[in-house]
Amino acid sequence: MEKRKRVLLAKPGLDAHDMGIKLIARALKDAGAEVVYGGIYVTPEEITKTAVEEDVDILGLSFHSSTHLVEAPKIMKLLREKGRDDLTVVVGGCIPLEDVSDLKKMGVQEVFGSGSPLDDIVDFMIK
Amino acid sequence: MSDSVKVQKREDRKIDGLMEAYFDKPNRLTTWSGFPVKDIYTPADVAGIDYEGKIANAGKYPFTRGIHSNMYRGRYWTMREAGGYARAADTNKRLKFLADEGVSGFSIFRDLPTVWGIDADHPMAEGEVGVSGVNLTSLKDMEELLDGIPLDKVSVALLCASSLAAVIFSQYITVAEKRGIDIAKLRGTIANDPLHSRYCYGKPNNPIDLSVKLAVDIIEFCTKHMPFWNTNSVNAYDMRETGINAPEEIAFGFEIAMEYIRKAIERGLDVDDFACRISFYFSAGMDFLEEIAKLRAARRLWAKIMKERFGAKKPGSWKFRFGVHTAGSSLVPQQPLNNIIRITVEALAAVLGGVQSLHCCSYDEPIALPSEESQRIALRTQQILAYETGVANTADPLGGSYFIENLTNKLEEEAVKIIKEIDEIGGMAEAMRKEWVDQKIDHAALQLQKEIENKERIIVGVNAFTTASEERTPGGVHRIPPETEREQIANVKSLKETRDRKKVKETIKRLREKAQMGEGENLIPPIIEALKAYATTGEIQGTIREAYGLSYDPFGIMKSPY
Repeated sequence: MEKRKRVLLAKPGLDAHDMGIKLIARALKDAGAEVVYGGIYVTPEEITKTAVEEDVDILGLSFHSSTHLVEAPKIMKLLREKGRDDLTVVVGGCIPLEDVSDLKKMGVQEVFGSGSPLDDIVDFMIK
Repeated sequence: MSDSVKVQKREDRKIDGLMEAYFDKPNRLTTWSGFPVKDIYTPADVAGIDYEGKIANAGKYPFTRGIHSNMYRGRYWTMREAGGYARAADTNKRLKFLADEGVSGFSIFRDLPTVWGIDADHPMAEGEVGVSGVNLTSLKDMEELLDGIPLDKVSVALLCASSLAAVIFSQYITVAEKRGIDIAKLRGTIANDPLHSRYCYGKPNNPIDLSVKLAVDIIEFCTKHMPFWNTNSVNAYDMRETGINAPEEIAFGFEIAMEYIRKAIERGLDVDDFACRISFYFSAGMDFLEEIAKLRAARRLWAKIMKERFGAKKPGSWKFRFGVHTAGSSLVPQQPLNNIIRITVEALAAVLGGVQSLHCCSYDEPIALPSEESQRIALRTQQILAYETGVANTADPLGGSYFIENLTNKLEEEAVKIIKEIDEIGGMAEAMRKEWVDQKIDHAALQLQKEIENKERIIVGVNAFTTASEERTPGGVHRIPPETEREQIANVKSLKETRDRKKVKETIKRLREKAQMGEGENLIPPIIEALKAYATTGEIQGTIREAYGLSYDPFGIMKSPY
């Protein structure tokens, strides 16, 4: 039997607009994934630590207050240091289109802006 | 063929799709909140309604048609556009730009570290300083922010609705005092609603009881010293943005307001001395007719609550006064210029609903902070409605519409049911503690998402009439340069090194002593003293938290230097 995908979802920084990430958590669970919800106000260090300890396959990060270009590079660097740069990292939230290529250059595999269909996100993350 | 398939097909831009479009019709025959809508409404739908008792002319109880007898013929609603980004000097520039463009009131938005009550140099503030509002770490920031603005002449709304409102409000009035302005003349609003902020900012920096205590301190202080200041703008807007429906917006907002009112009465205030200065901050969403009915229903219900439940005797205490912010959650990043149309429809609903103060969102808000250009368009939207359309010439122009009156009744009835349910739990604070509110919000968010995904609700550009994704944001992205944060942190560090440390220490000590005296001791005066010594936001909040047995730093990282 195929192993269920393990996903860590977290929202770095001070912002707590977490409706989107909670919906994604539920959709991923419904689709059969094991979801670890890292919650809000988590630091890059906490996220990386949890990703390693929970041995997840995928990391989903949500941003609303424009800190994606500050927090995402830190997280990618820490993942490399921990030898977990094999993780699939997905970013979502209020992300200007202009920033998508920068995020991808630093190793983020896909970016889902607000309004992205849940099915597309779930398909990309676990199927 | 299902309706959603039809929409999809039309997108294929084939001739078949064109034929489908020709015969297309509404597929969701309910209001946004789920009330079924009939083919047509007739006098039978408002039969037996008591005009004098239930509706009445504008300016008369229960104010269904408006709180003033001639509404906008006396004066337009206050046209505000919220401004706030980067350092205080940058926001000051934006406020002056908006003044030049014709706003009639300012609205100042703070960044997330300020909401949390942490200083710009706190480790958790990294990347957030000045990004989603202006950073207000110390009185120096507020002084710069208000530089050249005549505080005795303008109306300012301070949008900081966490329990940090007490500090931000105190910063504002301290600047006025230092300029020699009589604070009794100040006119404006403090968004003093820490209860709602649990659902906007997540777990709040302070527990419910301490948050409410600080909110009541502001109400008490203003009641005694600032007769024209709106002491609490209860924020039903942010609740609504989570996906709840219109009657829930009314009921949750009113239950939150009732918590503050009960506590203010317990503090010893007479309801008629402060109720006239409680205002509300409501949403105007995309269901145009329901939103108008919602605002009418809210006016009628609030009048009854204040008169019958709280025994308020002054007509001023019965009036539901409110500002509207068009619904940010209705805006989408896809085809963003279409958001201008959404905002216009929502703003028109607010005006037809009798709004006192209006903020129109900017079309680029789902992407970034508003640019000057997008904010100008938002303001122009209000000006076009006011000066070109004629909708402000008569009070409640849709009053008497069979549908609007019928829907107003239904919304009120439904809101009353929800209020009863919350009362039975023990009030809003208790419903929050029991996470009853969280469950309602989670359910609403999920339901809304499902309806969008299965195209029961059509959102142009998102699940219908889509186009290939743009590669760049039309109109560009307004960004805060990273050096802004570095400069603000340097300013804060320099302030901490150069201020009179002895004076800071003394004022912080007094603040601690006062805070330890318990809930009834008003902390606004000692906060003002500490601010004058340039104690920072983090230091003031931390000291109060410690006096209440909490950690100095809500994140548990910083230790008190005092």
